[in-house]
Amino acid sequence: MTILELDNVTKSFDGVCAVNDVSLGFESGKITCLIGPNGAGKTTLFNLITGFLRPQNGTIRYRGQDITNLSPWRIAAIGIGRLFQDVHIFRRLSAIDNVLTAFKDQAAENALLAVLTPWRTIKAERAVHEQGQALLAAVGLTGMGHTLAEDLSYGQQKLLSLARLLALNADVLLLDEPTAGVSPARVKELLDLIRQLATSGKTIVVIEHNMNVVFELADWVFFLDQGQVALFGNATDVLGDPDVRATYLGKQEW
Amino acid sequence: MNYLFHILIIICIYSILALSLNLLVGYTGLLSLCQAAFYGIGAYASVLLMTAAGLSFPLAVLLAMVTTAIISLAISVPSLRLKGDYFVLASLGFQMISFAVLRNWVTVTNGPYGISGIPRPSLLGFEIDGLGSYFIFSGVIALVCALLIYLLTASPFGRVLKAIREDEIATMALGKSTFRFKITAFAIAAAFAAVAGSLFAGYMRFIDPTSFTLTESTFVLTIIIVGGAGNVAGPLLGTVLLIAFPEALRFLPMPDAVAGNVRQIIYGALIVLMLRYRPRGLWGEYEFE
Repeated sequence: MTILELDNVTKSFDGVCAVNDVSLGFESGKITCLIGPNGAGKTTLFNLITGFLRPQNGTIRYRGQDITNLSPWRIAAIGIGRLFQDVHIFRRLSAIDNVLTAFKDQAAENALLAVLTPWRTIKAERAVHEQGQALLAAVGLTGMGHTLAEDLSYGQQKLLSLARLLALNADVLLLDEPTAGVSPARVKELLDLIRQLATSGKTIVVIEHNMNVVFELADWVFFLDQGQVALFGNATDVLGDPDVRATYLGKQEW
Repeated sequence: MNYLFHILIIICIYSILALSLNLLVGYTGLLSLCQAAFYGIGAYASVLLMTAAGLSFPLAVLLAMVTTAIISLAISVPSLRLKGDYFVLASLGFQMISFAVLRNWVTVTNGPYGISGIPRPSLLGFEIDGLGSYFIFSGVIALVCALLIYLLTASPFGRVLKAIREDEIATMALGKSTFRFKITAFAIAAAFAAVAGSLFAGYMRFIDPTSFTLTESTFVLTIIIVGGAGNVAGPLLGTVLLIAFPEALRFLPMPDAVAGNVRQIIYGALIVLMLRYRPRGLWGEYEFE
């Protein structure tokens, strides 16, 4: 089922068209990869979906609802989560606090309740802490909960930002180069985790430059070029296309 | 002894100011230069509520907190959409405007002449009289404020504030309305500054606009920079040091007129030195960048 749709979406910066009349959809339970050369508009597409940029034209729909002009926090709150390419972790918070920030419906995010019912907050915090530790374990950061995020390696920070994203429990996960910087030993586990998430019904969209990863993961592949969808299909078809190989994959990566 | 009590009372008042500003500077990452404006608005509000409306001190303080928090929206709603440096400028502007209003709205504030004859606070029929009892009174209130602010910062609410300080974009992408959180933090900081203002008014029994100037705002900021931001201990240490230290200067053979200027020079030098060599302050958790 198509859960997230873009209709004729256009975004240009100072006359340069970053995303040009793009229409595409993402299915729940599937992993869709976006590939294409630098400047093809992949990250801009993520920025448009998550509300950090507004398109000049076109509509973006999530579960049938027009979300084109919603603010970023609202889009995240209704179920579209995002992993940033440049981790965007909370550097001077501990790893566990990074994750805990993301949980929804924490009563004591209301300042009044935080002051009036501290005992309830303590109880809720205990429960949420356990879930947070479990998520850290799921991405392979067991025992790192109390390390400051800035003291983790880049690869670990990437995993931490994934754990934080999982805490948001969004239905759509937009992952911008999730494996970049992650140690090769961990990549396989990471891919397994992503596949598991898709199996559990999440809609997964991945921007990826590593073609092995695309082959491994993708149910569907969009090849973007100069702000447009140049090709769409399954991984074998798209990656096998001579044009794709020529324009983007000139050098053999696999 | 009286002199010692005086210093302790001032420490109590300024620790509330420093802790409230720390909520913005140390936790939310908002450099605000108008804390003294809320300090002043709170002081005037509670005094007017006591003298003109005849309310008791506790009720007047509560209403002054609410009033100040609401007035804070006038600056926070338009200016918190601005990015970093522009917000600092907007807060500076608000500080200047507030001072001008306190000085020129003569029918309400009595302008530059200030308001005198402010009644001593009384609780349950007992008037808080004498320096010793006023110290205990303000000490208890400062402790309650510190506890409340600690509860706020240690809660999920405080965690989101810190997340905003670290990375506002990422916080938004996690479904938090960062704008709403910032406005709330700002209103809370203003409300606590109003408590400090009420205590100050009740203690001095006279207020005029000169107690609530930009100099005062930067002084509170200096406390945080020296003591350290992002926790409760830093601002408290900073308050004790920066209130006690100038008092020590009194014992140097210096004419009063010179002493005041020397003090300003020392504050300025302290800010520069701390930011250069110890950006997290003496006991802080948050490093200024």
